[in-house]
Amino acid sequence: MPEQPYAVQLSGMTKRFPTATGEAYTAVRDIDLAVAPGRFVSVVGPTGCGKSTLLNAAAGLMPPSEGTVHVYGEPLQGLNRRASYMFQQDALLPWRSVLDNVTLGLRIRKVPADERAEQGRAWLERVGLGAFAAAYPHQLSGGMRKRAAVAQTWIVDPDILLMDEPFSALDVQTRQLMENELLTLWTGSEKTVIFVTHDLDEAISLSDEVVLLSAGPDSEVVGGYPVDLPRPRDLMDIRNSPEFNDIYRRIWSDLRNEVMKSYERRARTLQAG
Amino acid sequence: MSDALARSKPASTKDGAAVDDRVTPTEPPVRPPAPDPSVKKSAGRAWLRVSPLVLGLQLALGVGAIAGWQLLTQVGVLDTFFFSQPSRVAVRVWEWLTTGVIYDDLAVTLQETFLALVIGAALGLFVGFLLARVRLLAAVLDPYIKILNAVPRVVLAPVFLLWFGLGIWSKVAFGVTLVFFVVFFNTYQGVREVSRVLVDNTRMLGASESQLIRHVFLPSALTWIFSSLHVSVGFAIVGAVVGEYLGSAKGIGYVIAQAEGTFDTTGVFAGIVVLSVVVLLVELLVNRVERRLLRWRPDSGRTDVA
Repeated sequence: MPEQPYAVQLSGMTKRFPTATGEAYTAVRDIDLAVAPGRFVSVVGPTGCGKSTLLNAAAGLMPPSEGTVHVYGEPLQGLNRRASYMFQQDALLPWRSVLDNVTLGLRIRKVPADERAEQGRAWLERVGLGAFAAAYPHQLSGGMRKRAAVAQTWIVDPDILLMDEPFSALDVQTRQLMENELLTLWTGSEKTVIFVTHDLDEAISLSDEVVLLSAGPDSEVVGGYPVDLPRPRDLMDIRNSPEFNDIYRRIWSDLRNEVMKSYERRARTLQAG
Repeated sequence: MSDALARSKPASTKDGAAVDDRVTPTEPPVRPPAPDPSVKKSAGRAWLRVSPLVLGLQLALGVGAIAGWQLLTQVGVLDTFFFSQPSRVAVRVWEWLTTGVIYDDLAVTLQETFLALVIGAALGLFVGFLLARVRLLAAVLDPYIKILNAVPRVVLAPVFLLWFGLGIWSKVAFGVTLVFFVVFFNTYQGVREVSRVLVDNTRMLGASESQLIRHVFLPSALTWIFSSLHVSVGFAIVGAVVGEYLGSAKGIGYVIAQAEGTFDTTGVFAGIVVLSVVVLLVELLVNRVERRLLRWRPDSGRTDVA
């Protein structure tokens, strides 16, 4: 038990999945991760290292096989009601208009309709979708759908935001724009963010801390790297600063090892198979 | 286990249809909604886009077939006793419509169709939901559902006549047994196939089980049900008419059976014409309803903009 409660704390968390052959597949092993309230923490690792498993555990969508999950000092039971989750895939309801999608969380909380619409429109303005309230998700571009998803997760004013490679499907330009906007939203909001990505660049420029996971299966935490770049940050400038490059080089040398390991492991499985 | 129910479904329906091709349209009930919504939509409006050549040939084919029929009966190659004549059929239909004798029967048939559709769909929706959400129940009931669906419906007609009498309810019951399975299988599939991410996302936004049903499962199942609505409506009409044909005192099926009983071929054909026109009109209505309710879907050709 920590002295001051962390927003999210995973202790000794292991997650196994049953496989078709009957053996258990261990996605992550013995993970300790503590995120203090109001921090922006990124989790980075090679593809398939169980980054999403961490988020699912923190969300309560997938209880760990071993270990514990605490949210603000309380053991997590069922779903994490203080968190919103932004998925990698599109999670907007295709049969609802953009406005109805954005206000879905409010509707579930039984907020009156006029108040809902008012807040929804304000959020749509904020994410630049003011003109698209009545559109259906399929009519939006990928980037616009992500904006709607941001509004959908933020409108319920969660204490914790779990983001699973939210911008990985976007082109580079749209992605930078979205990252900048996310940072603007987050600044001063005092929300805790756990941001999963495989892009080190994105992780460093957004976060207070980068947590590196080892290659899967059996992923472990390789280390945590504080990012003490000054805020507010301009993502276009920050990437050229010498401090950024120092941090980048330090994490990259460790990350490269893990990536190589995962390549070797995959090559071995291929040869064996 | 319960997946077996979903997988075996088209096969079992086809079996049912093969045994009983007199009553059951052979089209399998399930059409997956997402992959290809464009097909039906464009089919609905296809006649607007056909080229003048195709339209001309279509007209020529129809006119030619009817004229040929008229000619062959006129010169005596076909016996009018067995084949009647387009002109006579037209006159009979006109008489029915102007004197109004057919409207009562038409009203009864449509009433039976409507009731069979509503009751069958409601039951199918409810049971489909229940089985999709309660895996144990689906596993237990799986063989019985297959058995029931394999029963040729037409043999149930005498039973329903005994139970519900000669009035509309025996026909409604008959139609319900047809509509139920279409809607049931589609609902079951629709609920089971909901994207995991949509469910998780809605749950993370705080939804309870009942809110989940309302915001995610029901709309998803409805898209499946609406894409099978054409089949369901067809089944409901088939149920009503065949039921009437086998024993009743009113309805288009009854009119056809009466005409048949007096060797009145003209009456049989006139009944068929009236029925076909009604089915076409209902089909148009279904198209409109479908287009309105499923308007959130991607337009034809454009499925997903990445």
